[in-house]
Amino acid sequence: MSSLSELHLDALAEVFSIGAGRAALSLSEIVGDEVRISVPSVQIINSEDINSATLSLNNGRFGAVNQHFRGPFNAEAVLLFTEDQALKIVGDMMGSQMSIDELAEFEHEAMCELGNIILNACLSAMADIFSFTLESSLPDYAVASADEILHRLKENSTQPYIMVLHIDLTIEKRHTAGNLVFLLSSASLDNLVSHLDQFLGNIT
Amino acid sequence: MDSPIKKLLIVDDSKVSRMLIRSHILARRPEWIISEAACGEEAIALIDNDLPDYCTMDINMPGISGTDAAERMLSKYPSIKIVIFSANIQETHQERARLLGTILVAKPVTEKSITLALNCFSDSK
Amino acid sequence: MNKIPATAPESPKMPILRVPPPAPAQPGSNRFDMEDIFHALNLGVCVVDDCGKILLWNNWIAKHSNIKEAEALNQQLEKVFTEPVSPAFLAALKNTLTYRLPVVLSTALHRAPLPLYNAHGTQQQTRMYQSITITPIQSQLSESCCLIQITDSSPSIKREKILRSHSEILKKEATTDSLTDICNRRFFDAHYEMAVADAKRRKHSLSVFMVDIDFFKSYNDYYGHMAGDNVIKLVANALKSQLSRATDIVARYGGEEFVLVMPHLPQQVAEQFAEKLRNAVLNLEIPHLKSRPFNQITISIGLYTGIPGNGDSLLNKADVALYQAKLKGRNRYISLPLCETEEYLEQ
Repeated sequence: MSSLSELHLDALAEVFSIGAGRAALSLSEIVGDEVRISVPSVQIINSEDINSATLSLNNGRFGAVNQHFRGPFNAEAVLLFTEDQALKIVGDMMGSQMSIDELAEFEHEAMCELGNIILNACLSAMADIFSFTLESSLPDYAVASADEILHRLKENSTQPYIMVLHIDLTIEKRHTAGNLVFLLSSASLDNLVSHLDQFLGNIT
Repeated sequence: MDSPIKKLLIVDDSKVSRMLIRSHILARRPEWIISEAACGEEAIALIDNDLPDYCTMDINMPGISGTDAAERMLSKYPSIKIVIFSANIQETHQERARLLGTILVAKPVTEKSITLALNCFSDSK
Repeated sequence: MNKIPATAPESPKMPILRVPPPAPAQPGSNRFDMEDIFHALNLGVCVVDDCGKILLWNNWIAKHSNIKEAEALNQQLEKVFTEPVSPAFLAALKNTLTYRLPVVLSTALHRAPLPLYNAHGTQQQTRMYQSITITPIQSQLSESCCLIQITDSSPSIKREKILRSHSEILKKEATTDSLTDICNRRFFDAHYEMAVADAKRRKHSLSVFMVDIDFFKSYNDYYGHMAGDNVIKLVANALKSQLSRATDIVARYGGEEFVLVMPHLPQQVAEQFAEKLRNAVLNLEIPHLKSRPFNQITISIGLYTGIPGNGDSLLNKADVALYQAKLKGRNRYISLPLCETEEYLEQ
């Protein structure tokens, strides 16, 4: 697992940027406005070293959307939003004049959908590029502190490494911006690496 | 009589993406001469010394955006035929590509998307 | 494409519907007919194949779509309804069929993707708010299908409406002065801007009355702040009680200062109204020993009437008039612009 090269990471970054592009397209169709999503970095981090500080997450409440998926590799993907950013994004997507408190009523389901769009877009990009099929559970949504979420993720994982993606999301005209953290913890990341090798072998 | 040997410049910040485009193009046009740039600024500097016939351009890159780079390149060298290759295919980018007189081809780089780009290149002649 | 072997262990979180194997029957497993349960469910259940053709259609969805099971089966989902299905729903279905990934369509972002109704045959025909999940499943013949589950989220929408009316109360609080219960400065500013724009457009006049309680500071010092607040309330009420048109407003402008805006009054009528305001406060007969020579609470009024132009604002002109009213001895109004005879007398 520690043998991920620059090229591996570059390939993953490209996969996720394509996923981000697809997610942005879906979201823009919902909000009727340009949505920009970029993935500035992909990292593989030792799970021992993962905490709210290393992920530059603050002490606030986070919304976490997670999906379990199976296929050539089984994994749990978690998307973290700060709660107030999440509400702002959903508020903008709904285009209503509702206050943040009122939005809370719809938060759960809307956040599930928002997370689901981004996670599915990344997974489908991966499936297209590496030519495999993934199955996934429906998304779950929970609100907790970053450390609580990370702790649970680490407990469920037997792997020493977690893939971390920082995602920037901007709804153009409304000047809404959010930073999302995408965590991928897998019992079989090695399988992902072998798919990467196979993919890179085809083009080098 | 046009020479079959064409010069193509691939502009993309992802090395893997550049490798993909290169390998797909060379599979179809083995005689082409291919150069690469990792950002818009590098591409603009490069074409002053070595003017390509064709160019594939990513949008989201460090520094200036691919569409801005394409616009600057075309204003200086209108003969270059540029195809925008991007994961971001929202209407605003499609429109921008149209205004530049080019097309936007959706990533991922596959045989199909390369065919679209090659058709666009040959249409221009 | 690597398909996952059918024998792959299933995580308990997988919401994949499996029809139980026909034999051998486990004790108790055949006690219920799955079909009965399926039709009795209080949610919409529909299965489509990889071409979007309907394979299952339960009673709930039949009832709310007014399309019987027999009419729906083997039809294309998007064509079975007489009304259009939302593009987002069709895109989500296509995605699920292509990538085999489950999709959530939330009420918040989609409201009513499918033409389903709560009360068929009645006058009220608004679409039911829905929340939808689309999950890939495999039939026993290994066909790739999609399970569509629909729940009625109208009750939560009702809650949202209640919350919205709560927010309207909050909005009222944000526009009302808490002491006097008349409009506050913030509301006035917004209203004034619209009134000016409206008067400009219609070339109507606008009358602005700036009202100030005379010697209020001495009243406060002598009688105390509580009594002072009470005077502000009484004056606000007296002013408010003079208004009768929906277009007119009175607002608390500052400490003991009020402002009234009334469109489309001839200057003479506006002056009569200013006099009415002055009398209304005089008639309160609130003692004020520090106010000489009146010995009671009085007000001064600056009135300006005119069609708003691009120059100095009506508010500033009314303020100038108020200043003159104070200079001339208080408990009076000054109306601007001066008419010709008054201008003559001034000189």
